[in-house]
Formats: sequence, C-alpha cells, structure tokens
Amino acid sequence: MSMNKSSIALVALAALVIGFGLSWYLASNRPIQLESGTWFGEQARPLPDFELTDQNNRPLTRAELMGKWSLMFFGYTNCPDICPIALQTLDRTLRSIDDPDVVKALQVYFISVDPERDTPQRLAEYVKYFNPTFIGATAPLEKLNKLTRALGIAHEIHDHPAGSETYGVDHSGAIVLIDPQGKYAALFGAPQDAAAMARDLTRIVEHN
Amino acid sequence: MRILLLLLLIPCVARADLTIENAWIKNLPPVVPARAGYLTISNTNAAAVAVVGLHGEAFERIEMHRTVMKNGTMKMEPVAKLAIEADATLRFEPGGLHLMMYPRQPTRPGDSYRVTVEFDDGETLDFEMVVKP
Repeated sequence: MSMNKSSIALVALAALVIGFGLSWYLASNRPIQLESGTWFGEQARPLPDFELTDQNNRPLTRAELMGKWSLMFFGYTNCPDICPIALQTLDRTLRSIDDPDVVKALQVYFISVDPERDTPQRLAEYVKYFNPTFIGATAPLEKLNKLTRALGIAHEIHDHPAGSETYGVDHSGAIVLIDPQGKYAALFGAPQDAAAMARDLTRIVEHN
Repeated sequence: MRILLLLLLIPCVARADLTIENAWIKNLPPVVPARAGYLTISNTNAAAVAVVGLHGEAFERIEMHRTVMKNGTMKMEPVAKLAIEADATLRFEPGGLHLMMYPRQPTRPGDSYRVTVEFDDGETLDFEMVVKP
C-alpha cells in the first residue's frame, strides 16, 4: 500500500517535471510576442560598424553596445512636442520595470539627427533632464546615416538659411532595441505606451 | 431655450463665448530654445471663429504647429489659422496640435505666463499658461 502510494507520487512528480521542462522548452523556442512592438527573432540582423560621438565626446560604436540591451530613439532637441514625449515614455518605462536586473541590463540612447545644432554639450544637458542614465549621441550625417539606414530610421533636415536656429527636422517616431550581440532585435512604433513596453522589455531581457 | 439662454448671455461679457482651459507649457532645460504649449479652447457661440495667432510679452514668438505622422515619420507642420466651429472645442495636446513657443528667458516649472490669443474677428483673449515639468 505504502509502496503504491510512493510510486504514484513518483509518477506525478515525473509528469510535473516533464511538463515544466516541455513548457520551458516550447516557450524558449517560440518567437516572443510583444504587446507593443515587433520582435525580429531569427531575422534580427547585426548592425554594421558605425561611429557616433556621445554627450561626453567619447565614441559610441557597435562594440560599445555589446553586452547590454540598447533602446534608441532618434530626434532632436529643438523638437518640443514628440521628442519630450518619447523620452518621458522611456523614463516611465524604466520606472515601470519591477526587476532591477532588467533595468540594469537596459541603456537608453537619444540619437540626434540634427548634428548641426545638437552639440554633445547640448545633448548632455537635454537628456539628463529626462533621466540621468540616458546617453545622448550624434554624428555628421554621413556617419549617422550608416546607423539609421541599417535600422530603417528615416530623418530629413528641412532646407534653411545658414545659421538658422529654427528649422524643423522630420524623423521616425520609433524606438528600436539592439540586443547584447549588436543585432537589431525589436521595434516599438509610435505612439509608445510605457507600461506595455515595460512588460515587453521584462519578457525579452528575462528570456534571453 | 438654448438660443434664449445664449441671447441672454452674449451681451453680458465680451468673449464669454470662448473659454480656455488646461493651458500649460512643457518645461525643457535652458539649453533648448523652444517649448511646446498646450490648451483647450471651447467655442460656445452660435457662430464659428478662427484662431489666427498668439503672442505674449515673455516670448519672442509663438507659432501654431501640428505634429503629423506620415509613413512612420513625424513632421511638424506650421498652421496659420485654426477654425473652431459653433459649439466645438479645439484641443492643443501632446502629439498633435501644439504651440511652438520661444521664451526670452529659460522657463522653470511653476512659472506662469500671460498669453494672448488673436481671433479672425479682430478680438483677443488673454489667459495664463503654467509651466509643468
């Protein structure tokens, strides 16, 4: 009788272990379904080599992105509506993530597509207003285009007289995610929702 | 009844047919020259009216802009005139219509500015805009 009971328990335990193992295997091989973006999975392409200059006048290259998850938004500091909304959303996203290890694994970059006006000093002042951990970077257009073309991020500076301080710049409203191997892993289209992005990023970072 | 009420109200106060609410300015660090401003204008008049401009002593200029998304790209388009139909509300809000404001001095959260909106009938309306973080 007691023999019987323990063998039933053993079978139940084995079934449980197999069940958990199987669901873990299936989950880890299934493409991640994001609430608020697109996960590229197997199609994630490695970024080409590029070189920007960050807010501290240090180079920001592909190698610099290795080993962490990088969130990038492309805009310009003279953009008073959309860019502050995106940066505030990114700040709220980080604050909405419960797991401190996930937050630690993420780095937010604000990449200016207006290198004429956005000097590293201006970028430093600008990004720290939203979150002290954010990093601003930019580069002359020919250098910048290497990165933005690879990411499919459109941007265009309006024609303007030399020295003008008030021209506009069209730019993508998307937030992109680069994985710790330097691959373009996911895209979050505008308008973004901080709570949904926080859940998506938690899932991504915890499962990879 | 409604027309009667309007007839009673109109002669009392000039521009009582237009109300401004939720007027605020998004603060940005001093290094950035432009600020976005938002407000809601309600027209309770029986006739349409149009906003043709804004100005304020503390600002070099104030423009009206609209953020539009075309093929995933954000563009800011200047707007010269904005009609508000009878009994309609015009909303300037984040991600859409907004004021592009160039303050003469850096702004701080909590600051308040007097701004004047100009209408196509030549009338104006003063209101306060508060700076929010």
